[in-house]
Amino acid sequence: METPLYVGIDLGTTNSAAAVFDGERVSVIRNAQGATVTPSVVRLDKQRRMTVGTRARRFVEQDAANTATEFKRLMGTGRAIEFPGAGVSRKPEELSAEVLKALRQDIQDQLGVAVERAVISVPALFELPQSAATSEAARLAGFARVELLQEPIASALAAGWRAEDDGAGTWLVFDLGGGTFDASLLETRDGLLRVVGHDGDNFLGGRDFDWAITEHLASQLAVVPRRNNPAHAAALRALRLAAEDAKIELSRGERAQVTLAQPLVIDGRDVDVDLELTRATVEQLCAPLVDRALDVCARLLSAHGLGAGRLAKIVLVGGPTVMPMVRQRVAARLEASLADGHDPMTLVAQGAALYAATAGLDGRAATTAAPAGRQVWLQYPAVSADLTPHVVGKFVGDEGPDAPAKVTLVRNDGAWSSPEASVAPDGTFLTSVSLLPRRACTFQIQARSAAGALVAVTPPALTIVQGLTIGDPPLSRTLGVALANGHVQVYLERGAPLPARRTFTHHTVETVAKGSSESVLRIPIVQGEMGQADLCRLVGTLDIGGDAVKDTLPTGAPVEVTIELDRGGRLSARALIPSIGQVFEHVAHLLVPDAAPEALDAALRDLRRQLMELRADAFRHQLGHVIEKLDRIEARMSEAERDIDAAHGGDADAAQRARRALLDIDGTLADAELARKWPQLDEEARRIAITASSTVGMHGTDAERTLLNEVLAAMDKARKDKDAPELERQMRLASRLTSAAFNRTSEAWEWYFEDAASEISRSTDLPRANALVTEGRRAIERNDTPELRRVVNALWRLLPADSEARKKAFDSGVR
Amino acid sequence: MAEPRSSAWLDDNPFFVLGVSPDASRIEIEREAQKLLGMLELGFADAQTYRTPLGLRPRTPEAVRAAVAALRDPYRRLIAELWARHAPPPAPPVEERVAPVPPPSGLRRRLGWA
Repeated sequence: METPLYVGIDLGTTNSAAAVFDGERVSVIRNAQGATVTPSVVRLDKQRRMTVGTRARRFVEQDAANTATEFKRLMGTGRAIEFPGAGVSRKPEELSAEVLKALRQDIQDQLGVAVERAVISVPALFELPQSAATSEAARLAGFARVELLQEPIASALAAGWRAEDDGAGTWLVFDLGGGTFDASLLETRDGLLRVVGHDGDNFLGGRDFDWAITEHLASQLAVVPRRNNPAHAAALRALRLAAEDAKIELSRGERAQVTLAQPLVIDGRDVDVDLELTRATVEQLCAPLVDRALDVCARLLSAHGLGAGRLAKIVLVGGPTVMPMVRQRVAARLEASLADGHDPMTLVAQGAALYAATAGLDGRAATTAAPAGRQVWLQYPAVSADLTPHVVGKFVGDEGPDAPAKVTLVRNDGAWSSPEASVAPDGTFLTSVSLLPRRACTFQIQARSAAGALVAVTPPALTIVQGLTIGDPPLSRTLGVALANGHVQVYLERGAPLPARRTFTHHTVETVAKGSSESVLRIPIVQGEMGQADLCRLVGTLDIGGDAVKDTLPTGAPVEVTIELDRGGRLSARALIPSIGQVFEHVAHLLVPDAAPEALDAALRDLRRQLMELRADAFRHQLGHVIEKLDRIEARMSEAERDIDAAHGGDADAAQRARRALLDIDGTLADAELARKWPQLDEEARRIAITASSTVGMHGTDAERTLLNEVLAAMDKARKDKDAPELERQMRLASRLTSAAFNRTSEAWEWYFEDAASEISRSTDLPRANALVTEGRRAIERNDTPELRRVVNALWRLLPADSEARKKAFDSGVR
Repeated sequence: MAEPRSSAWLDDNPFFVLGVSPDASRIEIEREAQKLLGMLELGFADAQTYRTPLGLRPRTPEAVRAAVAALRDPYRRLIAELWARHAPPPAPPVEERVAPVPPPSGLRRRLGWA
């Protein structure tokens, strides 16, 4: 039996790498230049010749227009990258495909295998359109099947795999890449890796270090080039490459000379560059960026109740973490030791290769050799933390005298064989094997007929690797449907194991007229952690037009929506409308929205105005903690402003970063707004606690009472910590328990009925609403609660959705 | 918006879905889940349903994955344990049926879920 070949690829913003795992050892693949990392750079010259990697990177300065870099940051935006020399444009995923092709070729050159299956890592905070673009890049590069894995999980898997002591405890993966920063908290116990939580900044990376140094260098030139002036772009690019080289040099030395062979041309003048840069200056320039990353870590630790000094280990990943200043600052602030002996540049690729084994994704193409002997379908974990995992199998084919009746699995070292397992009449059997720690074990399958004769089987053996493992890949961001009232119905929570599927029934908020192309039922699919739709990202829509429905859908018609994600995080959605028996499946995959600089300007103005109001108010009421929060928000606004400036100069990447930052600031302002309303919130919390205690106390079940006690304790803690979002979350839980208990009482539905009946003048179908009120009154007379409940639900569906809320919910047509 | 199903901790309780006791160790839970996923994939008849106090429920690979993910999280495991320990004993399988059977009369009301 051939040794397995598991392939992992780190498709990075600045650099990419590939690694392979054979069941026992991980090796990093070297490219034609002998390097373990390949720059993610693609060049297309006038003759349309393509060069990738180190050779392409040499042209970044001299032929920037035809040399594309950092296209990963535009993945999923649908923005094409122009190559004026060749007169063509390419999508970011097409360029990523070229990098993947180069890595695939390197594997073939080194191992002689054209791999077809691999695991590709993506940032933890990638959204669905970005993940979909990555899968597409892999397809274009010739991969038949890929799975995506979040980078921090890959790093932790690689770091944990080698840990002698099983690395038990809580780990922090500090991954500062070229363009993104991820902080992940992981826990290993009994050989199982669990993601406790993660946080990050999709737009903080080594390139920000480079820009900070570049701007410092630029400020010392005779003519200062500006990022918001497209005519200065070439000069800034040259300066930035020099800054990058100087930064790397200063990781080892104390001083570096920044000298350019050619003078820069700025506003028609030749400007010579011959500057000195010291390590101290670079550290001073980069320290605020490192601190920003450390703030993210502190937020993550405190969200999980961990103080500094509570971490078992910190794993550093990414080029910028090689800087001594970064290492010192991280270790000092988080008060934990750094895990040694890992290559921060290839750790992610190594982890991806290990994960390919967990997913049973052998890189080799499936063999087409004719099966010899009786075929057996097997189910077992390709990698197992458990030393005695189960093996489940089923023999295919007719019963007969040579049908297998008993099965034994024999380990290749001959030192162990399983007890004989009986084969059931339907050909199935269940047994378990014994693994050797941290080894790949192969087991021969010995099948015998009822008469005791050996039966040849295909496959004849199976291999299981013992080691650290992670179960199903978790969903990185909560996914749901935006409702017409502006809220989000959560379908799949962050951390849900993939693949996953969930169905909910919604109701239409207006009539969809048969045959009318203007009448559209829109079901927006959103991703994000906020309960309000407008603070989440739209990742797809399911549009059902009047011209597609067999019959007119009245207001309140039920729609069963199913959302499904496969292991790679690919989204599919389906809406079933039972009343007309039709299913709609076409989801328009949205792109990351384009960020026009003017729109960003307007959004920033709005947020500034909000910030001023909140600050004035906070000062008036002397709310120190709110003022601090607002100061931090203001610092982020200034950064966003710089990016918007660069966006005006044509920097699409900066525009995306600004868009994202503004969205985050909006969410943080909403939190600050909550904090400002603390006295009201606190009062409301008391009221809810009292109502919950009496209602659940009287009508709740034992379990509900126990749960309420936990919720009340959590509310107390949130009140002490002045944690407004957490208090709100716990208040929602308490309200839910209250309504569950209240709904059990006989008067609950009468109360809901009277409330809805008082609002029927606003209903979308007054005659129907009137009829329902009559039916409701009769149900009350008869004491018929189920009927009353039906009437109330029908009445609720007739009440109109607030048009403002609906607009914010991406024009959702369901509730 | 769909109403939350409060009875979910009884009929979707991860311990019932996986058929393990609330005292099971983490490794035992992972091992059982991996076995069940394999059995479901190969169509083993006895893996198709699981027993709950409300009767038999159909077992799906999604439910198994969700159950094992829930039990990896200490807080969610605690709640699941609480419900599993305080639940009445699983309803005896009245007859071999794959579809969910209606709960024994009055049970839902006694449990407060009617």
